[in-house]
Amino acid sequence: MSWVTISLSAGTMVGMAVILSYVLGWANKTFHVEVDPRVEAINNALPGANCGGCGYVGCSEYAEAVVAGEAPVNKCSVGGKSCAAALADVMGIEVKESYPYRPIVHCGAHYDDRLGRNEYYGEKRCLAANLVTDIQGCAYGCLGFGDCQVACNYDAIHVIDGLATVDYEKCIGCGACAKVCPRNIITIVPFKAEKILAVTCSNQDAGKDVMSVCKVGCIGCKACARISDLFKMDENLSKVDYDAYPLECSVELMNAVEKCPRNGIVFVGKPSAKDLAAVADEELPEVVEPDFKTTVDDTKWRG
Amino acid sequence: MSYLIDIILIAVGAALINNFVLYYFVGICPFIGVSRRVDMAFGMGCAVTFVISIAAFLSWTITTYVLMPGAPLSKWIAGFFVPADVAAKIDLTILSYIVYIFAIASSVQFVEMYVRKFYPPLYKSFGVFLPLITTNCAILFACLKIMGNIIGVDNPADAWDLGRSLTLAVFGGVGFTIAIVIMAGIREELDLCDIPKPFQGAAITLVVAGILAMAFMGFTGVDSGLQKALTSQAGASTAENKNADINVGMSKFIIENQPIDENIPKG
Repeated sequence: MSWVTISLSAGTMVGMAVILSYVLGWANKTFHVEVDPRVEAINNALPGANCGGCGYVGCSEYAEAVVAGEAPVNKCSVGGKSCAAALADVMGIEVKESYPYRPIVHCGAHYDDRLGRNEYYGEKRCLAANLVTDIQGCAYGCLGFGDCQVACNYDAIHVIDGLATVDYEKCIGCGACAKVCPRNIITIVPFKAEKILAVTCSNQDAGKDVMSVCKVGCIGCKACARISDLFKMDENLSKVDYDAYPLECSVELMNAVEKCPRNGIVFVGKPSAKDLAAVADEELPEVVEPDFKTTVDDTKWRG
Repeated sequence: MSYLIDIILIAVGAALINNFVLYYFVGICPFIGVSRRVDMAFGMGCAVTFVISIAAFLSWTITTYVLMPGAPLSKWIAGFFVPADVAAKIDLTILSYIVYIFAIASSVQFVEMYVRKFYPPLYKSFGVFLPLITTNCAILFACLKIMGNIIGVDNPADAWDLGRSLTLAVFGGVGFTIAIVIMAGIREELDLCDIPKPFQGAAITLVVAGILAMAFMGFTGVDSGLQKALTSQAGASTAENKNADINVGMSKFIIENQPIDENIPKG
């Protein structure tokens, strides 16, 4: 009796295994999908951060686009040059010079510089605050609630005194901040040098209107555009033409920067060795690290 | 007629009243994991419905013909070795769990290959969650429930047939889809909300799921009412009187309540 049960159980399992494996084997053959081996190779070469900086949903999607010839190999800003070289190797093509793409915040106004600010009791998010008028006079500038700071997975953008500020040491250029900004003041540009010029304003209103809402915004005086062709005027706003950005900074450019009456054209990017040397003798406050070694309160009782 | 009523009751019971996710709290993993966006949630619900149907078909077939005591196939094979009365008592239900998991895993594999071949965008949007259906306890739960209704009944004539089992499976899947799509809709709205940090992510989702489950508790008792309504329509003459009674009762109720309604400030 019992051995019949045992052998029947075994027989059931074996029978199921045979039948189901036959069905699955048939399905595997019938529903077979050809996959390019290069997709796998490119997937392995990519960093796998799935940040979406290349414009595709994830690394595997970008890999497929590269193999299909729809995307260039140097789109991955996280992997940088070595990654582009590895991808070019897989695809058997030459890689051209690629620049790291980094965000630039096109607003330079801290809380003190913004005029016409009003109390806001709503949800402390840019997305919500952007729906409300009169939070501040400027309808183009940074709101300072830090949606970009929340969106950043790399701790590379912070709201400092009401203005989103990129930490270029940490930034990998995924573009999450630019996507989330409801006022679209963050753009992703190719950094042809460690530090490049940026117009820190997005206000497209006439100069008088800008003056009434901001202490530092671009008034559209065209002073920079008259000196250098790099600056293009667009709707009362000076814009840097990053496609034509020179690799070496010229005197002409520096003149244009100095000419700006609002000091709105600034260099952004990683601090160079010269900058670090300039502040070397200044006494910087020491960073206090919390010490979690003990939680015992050793203050003496003086009651 | 009574078979049709049975089917309707099983369908409503599986989809709404005893919703797999919100009443039994099975299948929580994809319910939390894939309920971020409505379209993905709907795709997941469809995949689960599909897999649950195949698995229910397989498990019903195996249980009826192989596992249960006196199943035809095992009885026939055992009949060669032992007397017929002993062979009729052979019980292989101890194998149920392993056999069901076997069947579920195979059907998930099958679905994965099928979807990958014919619906690549759906395959892409599923990603890792398609293989995860294998361990979705909602499906094993459906299989075990079907087994309980085949083996656990006192009278062998009451054992579920394939139609009832498939109804439970399909509408269980539909109930899962309803729950996960509602959840995804709520979560899309939650994205705009200022949720306290400790509640963000899975925590607020579980809280919402609990409230949703409480809302679904409102369906409790619908089945007995439905059964009464369906059977009373079947038996004609007495039912009309009853319906009339109910109608009189309802109109009375409405009339009595009218002054109160007017007192309620509008808006």
